[in-house]
Amino acid sequence: MDATIGIPPAVTEETAPFWAAAAEGRLVVEHCPACGTDAFPPRGICRRCRSRALEWVEVTGPGQVYSYTVNHQRWLPDLEVPYAVVLVEFDGHPGVRVPGRLRGCEPDAATVGLPVAVGFEPGPGGQAIPSFVAATAGVAAGAGPAAP
Amino acid sequence: MSAVRPVSTAAGDRFEHRAVISGVGQSAIGRQIDRSGFQLALDAILAAVDDAGLTVDDVDGLAMFPGGGVANLPGYSGANLYEVQDALRLTTRWRQGQVEGMSLPFSAPAAAVATGQARHVVVYRTVKEGSAARRAGGRPAYGSTKPEAEGPLAWLLPVGMLSPVVQIAPYATRYLHDFGVTREQLAWIPVTQRAHAARNPDAAYRSPLTIDDYLAARMISTPMCLFDCDVPVDGATAIVVSTVDAAPDLRAPVRIEAMAGVIDGRPSWDQWEDMSRVGHATAAALWARTALGPGDVDVAQLYDGFTIEAVWWLEAMGFCGVGEAAAFVEGGKRIGLDGDLPLNTWGGQLSGGRLHAGFGHTAEAVRQLRGEAGDRQVAGAEVAAVTNVGGYEAGAALLTRW
Repeated sequence: MDATIGIPPAVTEETAPFWAAAAEGRLVVEHCPACGTDAFPPRGICRRCRSRALEWVEVTGPGQVYSYTVNHQRWLPDLEVPYAVVLVEFDGHPGVRVPGRLRGCEPDAATVGLPVAVGFEPGPGGQAIPSFVAATAGVAAGAGPAAP
Repeated sequence: MSAVRPVSTAAGDRFEHRAVISGVGQSAIGRQIDRSGFQLALDAILAAVDDAGLTVDDVDGLAMFPGGGVANLPGYSGANLYEVQDALRLTTRWRQGQVEGMSLPFSAPAAAVATGQARHVVVYRTVKEGSAARRAGGRPAYGSTKPEAEGPLAWLLPVGMLSPVVQIAPYATRYLHDFGVTREQLAWIPVTQRAHAARNPDAAYRSPLTIDDYLAARMISTPMCLFDCDVPVDGATAIVVSTVDAAPDLRAPVRIEAMAGVIDGRPSWDQWEDMSRVGHATAAALWARTALGPGDVDVAQLYDGFTIEAVWWLEAMGFCGVGEAAAFVEGGKRIGLDGDLPLNTWGGQLSGGRLHAGFGHTAEAVRQLRGEAGDRQVAGAEVAAVTNVGGYEAGAALLTRW
């Protein structure tokens, strides 16, 4: 499934570190050393204590699917369908929920609570996009949690 | 007697009582109307001013949704505010074009007339999304008018959440999961609204729709099928909001009993914390501003860009309990024209057409309260509920007969 057909993200001061890490196959979110809060999307200010002195922390997973949908509609020419998109949350990182594609299983196998591994794949505009890997799929499906 | 004026309470003074909705007007509405968005807007504005019993020269405030800038969707925006002002040779004392903060079409105009900034505000919304979808050979991607996805869309479009349908479908997924509800149960919302649309000559789709039709429809983004999505149309709606002092000059004003627009969750489609509960803070704020309760509502125009959005509002507004909407709508009787809570009596956006942002819902509420809703009139309607969106923008109001 080719995920490169689409609309690329505008990369901003706040989001450049996320996309740079994504290109290395790493999922990073903002972390506040002052109060310990993790946050996504990045805003350059702690959503809890409003400190501006933030760090980036890697989320290694696994995550769980909070919710999902399987898109069947070809919104753009050459868009490959169907595909599942998932909203993933992570133990130890409350307040972090990351949208991404789902690989490693048939789209219709997506469920609420499905365990997934962190992963990325080539997306629009040369960016690596979050592409989570169904934990149940295993290596047999040929979709390990590898970076692009 | 306290020197400090209390914040508005159910018994206290509310600014929205100093405003009325005096007129509503619409252009031709259809899947494809061969006129410019600008001409459709003029049609709607002139009709609304006439409906209010006013003349164009009485208008001293002008507002629109959305404001300037490049829209994210082809056909999403039409009729520049300054060009409308110029075309109508108006003098305006108050103007506004907005997306953010427009909880309901009449909320900011009501504040403007209540504070004396203007006497008669026209607010309008024009869509040409029907024609745009036809030109694109299908409903185009949200954001496809720009080279890059900006703001909250930067996290959604690149991973393939390319339309509001895909962005909101996870809410429906989560709702069905949390409450053990089936698609077939919620299908009574689009099916019943189609029956209402059959009685509305201006509705986009009027042919009968059955549960079997619904279940056979193609999936757009699970669990939402074609009939869970509103219908892109061409059309314009205008609403006139006037100071209550002008009531003697108005043909058929409608009162704004209460209104509210609270956002207490993370304001983006993907980050909203509890996707099975939406609109509750807005509804609670609304009920805190009125002595009326859910049982007093005679007709409900609840935002229905998608079926699930009407579900949110049925529950948030307290028409049924949380997780109980499926049982409430099942069979369609309760939400039918003769039911306890006639829902989206014009067909809603699902069948009437995506006039968007609560404009079609407001126009219908006003017509119902005046007894001017034709074959779909709910007998004796005195209190109407109107809601808009629900997620990162939200609004709810009660309108009452003059």
